[in-house]
Amino acid sequence: MTKFIVRRLLLAIPTLLGVSFLVFASIRLVPGGPAIALAGELATPEIIEQVNRELGLDQPLLIQYVNYLGRMLRFDLGRSIRSGLPVIEEIQTRLPRTLLLAVVSLTVSSVLGITIGVTAATRPNSLFDGGSMIFALLGVSMPIFWSGLMLMIFFAVLLPQWLTSIGFPTGPILPPTGSGTWQHLVMPVTALAANSMAIQARMTRATMLEVLRQDYIRTARAKGQKERIVVYVHALRNAMLPIVTIIGLQFGTLLGGAVLTETVFSWPGIGRLLVDTIGFRDYPVIQGTVLTISVGFVLTNLFVDILYAYLDPRIKYS
Amino acid sequence: MTASIPTDFTAPKKTFKLPTSVRRLIRNPLAMFGLFIVLTFIFVGIFAEQISPHDYDLSNLSMARKGPSATYVLGNDEIGRDMLSRLFHGARISLTLGVISVGIGLIVGVFMGVVAGYFGGVVDLIVMGIIDIMLAFPSILLAIMFVAFLGGSLQNAMIAIGVLSIPVYTRLVRSSTLSIKEELFVEAARALGANHVTIVLRHILPNVFAPIIVQSTLQMAVAIQAAAALGFLGLGAPPDVPEWGNMLQKGRNFIFSAPHIVLYPGLATMLVVFGFSLLGDGLRDALDPRLNR
Amino acid sequence: MKHTKLLVLVVLLLVSMLAPAVKAQANTLTIASGTDIENTNIHLVTSSPSFSVLEHIYETLFNMTPEGELVPVLAESIEATADNVYVIKLKQGISFTDGTPFNAEAVKANLEYMLDTENGAAFRFLLVVGGEPAQVEVLDEYTVQITTKFPFAPLPAHLSHGAYAMVSPAALAQGKDFLASNAVGTGPFVLSEWKRDEEVVLTRNDAYWGEKPALEKVVFKVVKESGARLVEIQSGTVDVAVRVPPADIPMLQADPNVEIMITPGLRTIYIFFNVTEEPFTDVRVRQAVNYAVDVQAIVDNLFEGAALVSRAPFAPAIFGYSAQEPYARDLEKAKALLAEAGVAEGTTLTLYHPTGRYIQDALVADAVRAQLREVGLNVELQTLEWPQYVPHVRRPKPDNDIQFAMLGWGVPTMDADYALFALFHSSEFPPGFNGAFYSNPEVDALLEKGRSTLDQEERKAAYAEAIRIIWEDAPWLFLYSEIQVTAVRKNVEGFIVHPDESLIATFASKK
Repeated sequence: MTKFIVRRLLLAIPTLLGVSFLVFASIRLVPGGPAIALAGELATPEIIEQVNRELGLDQPLLIQYVNYLGRMLRFDLGRSIRSGLPVIEEIQTRLPRTLLLAVVSLTVSSVLGITIGVTAATRPNSLFDGGSMIFALLGVSMPIFWSGLMLMIFFAVLLPQWLTSIGFPTGPILPPTGSGTWQHLVMPVTALAANSMAIQARMTRATMLEVLRQDYIRTARAKGQKERIVVYVHALRNAMLPIVTIIGLQFGTLLGGAVLTETVFSWPGIGRLLVDTIGFRDYPVIQGTVLTISVGFVLTNLFVDILYAYLDPRIKYS
Repeated sequence: MTASIPTDFTAPKKTFKLPTSVRRLIRNPLAMFGLFIVLTFIFVGIFAEQISPHDYDLSNLSMARKGPSATYVLGNDEIGRDMLSRLFHGARISLTLGVISVGIGLIVGVFMGVVAGYFGGVVDLIVMGIIDIMLAFPSILLAIMFVAFLGGSLQNAMIAIGVLSIPVYTRLVRSSTLSIKEELFVEAARALGANHVTIVLRHILPNVFAPIIVQSTLQMAVAIQAAAALGFLGLGAPPDVPEWGNMLQKGRNFIFSAPHIVLYPGLATMLVVFGFSLLGDGLRDALDPRLNR
Repeated sequence: MKHTKLLVLVVLLLVSMLAPAVKAQANTLTIASGTDIENTNIHLVTSSPSFSVLEHIYETLFNMTPEGELVPVLAESIEATADNVYVIKLKQGISFTDGTPFNAEAVKANLEYMLDTENGAAFRFLLVVGGEPAQVEVLDEYTVQITTKFPFAPLPAHLSHGAYAMVSPAALAQGKDFLASNAVGTGPFVLSEWKRDEEVVLTRNDAYWGEKPALEKVVFKVVKESGARLVEIQSGTVDVAVRVPPADIPMLQADPNVEIMITPGLRTIYIFFNVTEEPFTDVRVRQAVNYAVDVQAIVDNLFEGAALVSRAPFAPAIFGYSAQEPYARDLEKAKALLAEAGVAEGTTLTLYHPTGRYIQDALVADAVRAQLREVGLNVELQTLEWPQYVPHVRRPKPDNDIQFAMLGWGVPTMDADYALFALFHSSEFPPGFNGAFYSNPEVDALLEKGRSTLDQEERKAAYAEAIRIIWEDAPWLFLYSEIQVTAVRKNVEGFIVHPDESLIATFASKK
């Protein structure tokens, strides 16, 4: 197992190098540098030149990249052009927030998604099955930023209005944006979970249907085991493989893909940091953020693979 | 038997049982509902000009942000243009954008997949290395960065979304190609002196046709949603273009004073994505009897 | 059915009861701001939100009051001892919060920090006259002398700019990295915490030399979405919300707990015509566009009246203002002028505009496009992100082929020199700020006179004449001056919104 992990980690290195070089080169090849963003509309050519010299942007691209790699080996990602703070620090303040959002919404959605999926699979072609699958598909179809806005209108405007009209005067039910308390989590988590839950429910249903037709399930049933145990212990365990894969992939996507939710709810996460700094041409932060997200992505995939090996009965029982 | 799961190819078949699949599709009410949405969407997209009740581009500032009325059924947008006519024209943009970006992904992706799978070795290593790099990053962020760097425009959005759908096709086609090229009938063709192009065109591509159709239908949904996301982040078309995501992005400043500006483009996006997903699922079930229950 | 409804209700009430954890406290003023500060180095930041926050920690020698009056802060007095020499006396007995005394050496260190090209300060140009940086000399412990190459009337006003605030020399010596996240000033508040993209917390400086503020704490909370700021102010989780979207003014006016503050700003939004590019070489075309666009309707309908139709190239509060007759909408006249100038119907033009930089900028560009369509001009919008936008519209000739582009110009010094010279003097062609490539020897002479004459009446006359000529030459599509709309809870008193976009919490208190 260790050998497998080490090999996978080594294989990830060229990929990450590729990502970092592509980002490094592409942000420098497009027009509009950080100097303008830094000095604003008042930037004179002298200031721009000065800022560029300071940032080392006047050197050849390859030299810049080699320098960058050298510093990276010492875990020095440079300093943000905009704030002057170390990139590591910028990322450290954002990453936990994104992780929190990702973990909470994935936990909520997994519990609900798998439950719905299993229930639907045990009653194929029932009203619940059809209804939940249509809702699941609608959930995936909703643009996530849009559902976020709709939640905001609902909790901030419509619901208080309704409550007030029936005699319970109240302000907005939930804080619309920001982070800090659990109330702040409710709306972004709902928006994100509605989306990933739908995918999980569909995936669970499909695999469960397949597993439930297998011989050993019939055997288990014939042995007189309780249906609940058959479904949740025997069948679900074997259906977990693709479900875990999907959850793992979703976690990776949430690492950076939560940017839309983060934008709608002013959630100070890493996706938001990336989008903001792209607008600002804050090269060191863009590079650092992209690298962090890629590493997270690669590690998640590796973790899924390991889990896969662990869960796969063919490996387990051989 | 025609299977759509690439690794399952056991027998070479250039034709697939279209009638059976079509019958299966027709028997699936959800898929037919999806087809209905998709056809409506295509119809609206093509005839946007003819069915729009007003000039979609005519602004009447005194009607800015007004809610639905008898003349303007869905109300007016932030500078007083007719929402309904703009939604219709938005359908045309989404349709074009979807088709072109999926087209880009399909052509490039299939080509890369065939090349990687067919030639193997170093070529395979390089192609899959590129794909791995692309996959080492959430695709929506990839598109955002791409467009942010190149400048926001519809063309760039199309290219970005096209590029991010390349890996799906490459992986799909590569694995099928890998298994098919070892088949006896391919070796036979090769022995008979068929060149690479012929083998690919006559023997390999027809076998991945079904999964590509399914994937492309689903990919349309992905593309339309991604386009809306880019528009929402202000990275799509200029502000006057009635692209749905664009409309959402601008309406977002008025969610309290004029929620209808946000409501309708979002609903439209959802409905169309829903339609393509239903149809895609239906097609997959129809073309893949293994999953037919 | 009834049960479910009740259950839902109970759950919601529970949730809402748990929510007040975030309610504001009595001695803390929380301001929902739209953007985070760039960093804490007041010499190098450029955005008004940054200055708003940092000006509570740092103080300048002089201050421009909201009424446009220059008052001494850290300075005691200023006197011109020769045409080009100013002597500034400083207040005594003030120290920075790190114990460093405030004196003439501190002033010199700060001004020289600003003037040192190595530091790349964006507002360096405020003390650069005729291409040469001002000379700063220490006469005695509390007296500084500033010498400029030419007589320079706006100098005292320029020293009131936030970028010229006084930072502890000991902190300056620690370098950029230190200053980026530490602030050591003389002001009424000290920096206590900065959570990136979340909030900046200031606490009262109990050793402050002046009158101490009533508030113990001021929190600048970053709330990027305007809609979210509204919800926060209405629910009382913040005391002040900046940049209220114009469309939401009616809703807030109906709220008994919230007051709307209307503050005419110092920034004017305009679209400049490149007078060296067809078809805008012809003054008739430029005037036609001015006649074709209904700025009044834009202000009324898109801004709910929260903007001022331009009657000069800058805002009324600024020294030297002289109102002209606005180009009222006249489609027939516009069409006639276009026909005279030989501009065919259906001519395609490209309008560049930024997005998210000014209040509703993209929306206005879209409205202008839609209105020009009515006189047969087919305008294509080009949106660029700010970092790409500025260098693009300010490229020097011959690369510059911009036809017309939207920009805004704020005048923090509240003086016509700042408002006009950089934008209309022929020495300021791109990469300078005269994006229109406007050149009129008469205007040049008047602007030069305005900057080198110390007599205020003469200056006023010169600027009035310059504005009249510019108005007729129409190198711009004159749009409007911004008005800041701020929502404040009714129990807050003494909160000031400065025309220069600063938010001043120093004199505020809560009932």
